[in-house]
Amino acid sequence: MLPKFEYYSPATLSEALELLERYGEDAKIIAGGTDLLVSMRDRLLKPKNLIDIKKIPDLRQIEYKEGVGITIGAAVTYKDMLEHPIMEKKYRVLCEAVRTIGDIVLRNRATLVGNICNASPAADSAPPLLILDARVRIINKNDGVREVPLERFFIGVKKTILKPTEIVKEVFIPEPPTNYYGKYVKMMRVLSEDLTVVGVAGLAYRDKGELIVRLAFSSVAPTPIRVREVEEVFKKKDMPIDKKIEEAVKISSEKVSPISDVRGSAEYRLNLVKVATTRLLKELVGVV
Amino acid sequence: MGRKMIRFKINGVEKIVEVEPNKTLLWLIREELKLKGTKKACERGDCGLCTVLLNGEPVKSCLVLAVEVDGSEILTVEGLARDGELAPIQRSFIEHGALQCGFCTPAFLIVGHWLINKNPNPSREEVVEAMNGILCRCTGYKSIIDAIIDAAKNMRRA
Repeated sequence: MLPKFEYYSPATLSEALELLERYGEDAKIIAGGTDLLVSMRDRLLKPKNLIDIKKIPDLRQIEYKEGVGITIGAAVTYKDMLEHPIMEKKYRVLCEAVRTIGDIVLRNRATLVGNICNASPAADSAPPLLILDARVRIINKNDGVREVPLERFFIGVKKTILKPTEIVKEVFIPEPPTNYYGKYVKMMRVLSEDLTVVGVAGLAYRDKGELIVRLAFSSVAPTPIRVREVEEVFKKKDMPIDKKIEEAVKISSEKVSPISDVRGSAEYRLNLVKVATTRLLKELVGVV
Repeated sequence: MGRKMIRFKINGVEKIVEVEPNKTLLWLIREELKLKGTKKACERGDCGLCTVLLNGEPVKSCLVLAVEVDGSEILTVEGLARDGELAPIQRSFIEHGALQCGFCTPAFLIVGHWLINKNPNPSREEVVEAMNGILCRCTGYKSIIDAIIDAAKNMRRA
């Protein structure tokens, strides 16, 4: 049984912003509802008003501009995102991570922007979005749109910079580097439908011959994190590649701060970070 | 509390119902419409037993609000048989004895029905992928998967 609330289903973004301005902290946005309704059922959240954004056409858009990037609206489901022809072609690492979220039935409802706004440390979409330099476009009734790198959007466990009167309108992912190779490694307890014990996304490409590598993690810190220090390691001259990988793994394991919970102990997670990062980096540098 | 009037079609029948916003689609199906084939179990999207088709796509009805289905079409296990004739997926489950306690069967039938209509020649992997989020605690998965593959085969022949 869910706590009681009033339900609104605005037809336009400006109506939704109007409602949000009126109710502020007493309101929650509902898109897929696959996280929100569970939290409400557990009485972790008791919003007095729910604003359903699924009927707002503007927020259901996916728009790709060659050479610029892709914009994914707040009400776009994983299903619609995965079916967009450009996604698999240009953003395969994100698709790979998203396919590990829940199951095919859940992905019919759940949304990418919802995953970000929920700000779970275990959000699987976050590591690929972080290494793809994704940006979050936020809007409120009075100030128009502001754009923030995803890296600065998360501020703690289930906490974002979003103010009560603001809504994430869309996520923008720039055109990725040409011929990059990306991969998401998700460590979980069972083969499917489980939350991540350790997640790591990486991508690699060559920029005028120089090897560029990026790494980001989920489930091993209060927020999903991109470990930028690793990127510097791979830019070093006169260091054999094996040493670079070793160094990158060492830095990664120092930058994460896993906790113990029902899915694994901190020690186990730290060990998995080393195992997963080593495997991932070996594959990346082997391909690129 | 603002009750809302919603209009929808379930198993081909038009309905108009007044619901409170905090009621789920699962509640609407089981408690308001008394269609008890759709099962209530975890109520948090983990077990998949409340799966129904909403506008032709499978959803976990415990994670959909009743007010959200205004203007939609819903298919539950009760709507699979037409004019007393079982659907191919139902016949196949019977032939394969693809159930033990039967509690998960309606969800598997619904997702199986959806899958073979979308993909008339699913591979074993594709069936497993589609069934990933539906739990059978008797763990009788093998016969369920066989039954779905066979149902697709029979449908192609028909």
